[in-house]
Amino acid sequence: MATRETPQVYSRHLTGKKTTEHLLKFNELLVNMMGDVKNKPEALRDITVVELSHASFAGIITATLLAEFGAEVIKVEPPEGDPARKITPYGTNVNGVGLPFLMESRNKRYITLDLGCEKGRKNLKKLVGAVDVVIDTFKPGLLDSLGIGYRQLSQLNPGLVYVAVSPYGHYTSKAEELSNIPDTDLTAQAESGYTLLFGDPREPEPYNYPLRAGVWAAWYMSAALAVAGTLTALFHKQRCGEGQMVDVATNDAITAWQAFSVVWGFTNEAPRARIGGFDWCLYPYAFFKCKDGYVTVAAGTDSDFRGLLKILGRWDLEDDWRYLFDRIVDNVDKAEELRVELEKITIKYSRDELMRKALDFSAKSAHDKLRSGGYPIIVPTKEPREVLEEKHWKVRKTLVEIDHPIYGKFIIPASVPKMSQTPPRLKWIKCAIGEDNEQVYEKYALSK
Amino acid sequence: MTEDYFSFTNRIFNPSENFDKPEALKGIRVLDLTRIIYGPVVARWLALFGAEVIKVEEPREGDDWRTGTYWAKYWKDSCPYFQSLNPNKYFVGIDLKTKKGKDLVFQLAKISDVVVENYRAGLSEAWGIGYTAVSQINPRIIYISCSGYGQWGPLRFFPSWDLIAQSMSGVARLTGFPGRDGYKLQDYYGDFLPGLLGVVGVLSALNYREKTGEGQYIDMAQAEALMRVMPNWTYMSLLGQDLGLTGSIDPSMAPSGIFKTSDEKFVALAIATDEQFVALAEAMGKIDLATDERFKETFERTKAENAQDIHKLVEEWVRTKGEEEIIDLAKRYAFPAGRVMDDWQITNDDWRRERGSIVEIQDEMYEEGTWALPAAMLHKTPGRIKSLARPLGYHNRYVLKKLLGLSSKEIEKLEKEEVIGYWDNRVGQRPPPFYNIEKDPMFNYEGEGENNGDT
Repeated sequence: MATRETPQVYSRHLTGKKTTEHLLKFNELLVNMMGDVKNKPEALRDITVVELSHASFAGIITATLLAEFGAEVIKVEPPEGDPARKITPYGTNVNGVGLPFLMESRNKRYITLDLGCEKGRKNLKKLVGAVDVVIDTFKPGLLDSLGIGYRQLSQLNPGLVYVAVSPYGHYTSKAEELSNIPDTDLTAQAESGYTLLFGDPREPEPYNYPLRAGVWAAWYMSAALAVAGTLTALFHKQRCGEGQMVDVATNDAITAWQAFSVVWGFTNEAPRARIGGFDWCLYPYAFFKCKDGYVTVAAGTDSDFRGLLKILGRWDLEDDWRYLFDRIVDNVDKAEELRVELEKITIKYSRDELMRKALDFSAKSAHDKLRSGGYPIIVPTKEPREVLEEKHWKVRKTLVEIDHPIYGKFIIPASVPKMSQTPPRLKWIKCAIGEDNEQVYEKYALSK
Repeated sequence: MTEDYFSFTNRIFNPSENFDKPEALKGIRVLDLTRIIYGPVVARWLALFGAEVIKVEEPREGDDWRTGTYWAKYWKDSCPYFQSLNPNKYFVGIDLKTKKGKDLVFQLAKISDVVVENYRAGLSEAWGIGYTAVSQINPRIIYISCSGYGQWGPLRFFPSWDLIAQSMSGVARLTGFPGRDGYKLQDYYGDFLPGLLGVVGVLSALNYREKTGEGQYIDMAQAEALMRVMPNWTYMSLLGQDLGLTGSIDPSMAPSGIFKTSDEKFVALAIATDEQFVALAEAMGKIDLATDERFKETFERTKAENAQDIHKLVEEWVRTKGEEEIIDLAKRYAFPAGRVMDDWQITNDDWRRERGSIVEIQDEMYEEGTWALPAAMLHKTPGRIKSLARPLGYHNRYVLKKLLGLSSKEIEKLEKEEVIGYWDNRVGQRPPPFYNIEKDPMFNYEGEGENNGDT
């Protein structure tokens, strides 16, 4: 239920009686309009996808996202199952199903086909004749050599959108030369130039090594790119009737979308210096120690920085560090000087005290006509377990508790984004190997 | 004899033919009311694949990313980072704080297919250009609001940036070594990933609208997108404890990590399956590892103590090999390994150039430059960079005349009233110093509005 209390606003444009009333109404409208998901239509309700991913969460997540938007996804596995079932932190599993597989299993149908034998391939062709999208994460060219690649399948189904996801893609001389190398998130992060942006060169070995981003940053980015590519291709198909091939290189996913590596390389003709926990564009834009953990401070612009100094009572630093250009990190040791000075203050307060100081300042600043006060932001650097307790996510149902007859009680994140007409959603969780064989074999008249 | 697979794929994807191919989103008009990164990248995808994107900025101020460049580095008086996020767009300077300015934006929303905004939550509603107002005059509109925590719920007005959303979602605490300070996700992952999932939302809505004619509202929350990629919730709820920090080890793969080679370089290596582990054991010349009870099966191998044992063996082995050697072995035996690339290697990478994800663009205003395209390649309707960003207000005359049917006179009046405006004479906003803007036919668009009165 919506409450009729207005949270604190941090902009003078959000004040005034009329605006406040409108924003309250808008909040209520959204609670009603966006909250009800179950009975709404699905954007991809008439799209069918065959997922042939193998030991690749980039492929699995691509299919999952499409399934969340309403596509019927048929995951095809060999009789022994996709090895991705076992890719899970510390081998943790429920009834033989790894946690990431469980989390990304939503809304799919699971069938087995042995693509190594003629019968399996015949069945696949039959299936593909009736679907819109195929997702292939095998070694580039492998399915083609078996007679079930894009060339052959697009003959059977000219409207087919064939999505290939692999480390180096399905074309170029390098892709051919290195086609044997399988995909993982970590290797894709490294090839994307991402791991070299982490880690602190001032640390002792091995803590000064390039460092992995602690989530599947490359696999999720690759999947999101593959889905955006698929939906773009499906839109073209709606208008022109023709399908096409979508080729995603996971080793390029982060680089080419975030784009800073290329921008930097092209304008500086050198790689970035490694700067540990600092940022290349903004300062301060980092974590600071405080009494009871860490806070995150974002006060990158000059006015935000001035505000921060006022909050922390360190106006004495203003003279030396006034401009972003003074603060920006071309010399880590110098950047460290300011960090140490600021931390001397943050360490005296708790996370909540610091957040409160910043929010109160911003609320006041919002009414300043010149906006010269700035909006320094300080929040607790939350641990995942604290995020679980946040009321806001409960109101928005961002984390969903599942009580499953086979896999027990567990939490998974809800689909994003929230949409008014065709919201993506969680419909069911299942993941037993071949669970839907009977139904799918019959529906598509596959031979047993 | 059929054609070799790679000659076939090289032929159909040949990037040098991209400009001869059709654009998937041609005819889609996008009103881009965004700044910094998170919002602009939503419109960026749409622009790369053929949509007509009109970016509205505040005169003389503009998108903060125009002037907020790294190390105060400018390229031909423009911010190259801003350039990379805003290709193929039309740039209009309208003051939304004036009534007439709001009206102009409202008129543009009326004739658009998509509106993208990333003002602080509630602001577009407060200004009367939000979804509730726009959907009244344009029910087919797909309106996406990009904010930190979404447009409803108790935290809706709470401030956000990439790093703040990272911290509020918990994703900020996942990178680093146990017992040491952690690292944020670099290069604004908290903007780029949520932005891309926003693109997915918009494209799903466009596909739906094509069939039904119905538009809709999309509430994109940065922190929710980051929470979507975290396995921690499932892990915590089943095991009752946090996953914790693991350095460069991916706890779901063993061995995995970033290892130092004999030539003092680094390689990333991760083994996801039993098959890959056998391949690695063979490459190491230690095939007995593949039958070792601790390692032969994935669930066992990834248990913390076993993973540690195999990690050590691999660490020692990699130290005896050069970077090239490891990649060569990975290729021969088929296990996952990769080089640790840096910005400069990436920029000069032949593979990426051959692929067409790094391109040399000859722009009419900024001339030659090197830019990136998304890693998703569509062989019949490829994305492309047709033009770079332009100075603030560069397309005022073109857009207001052509789309809203205004006359030169009306435009002059709006300029005088400071409803519309242009760049301030500073780097990041103004044209490059060598460029003669006075003779630019687009900037000085002379055609007169045809549908005057229709607005």
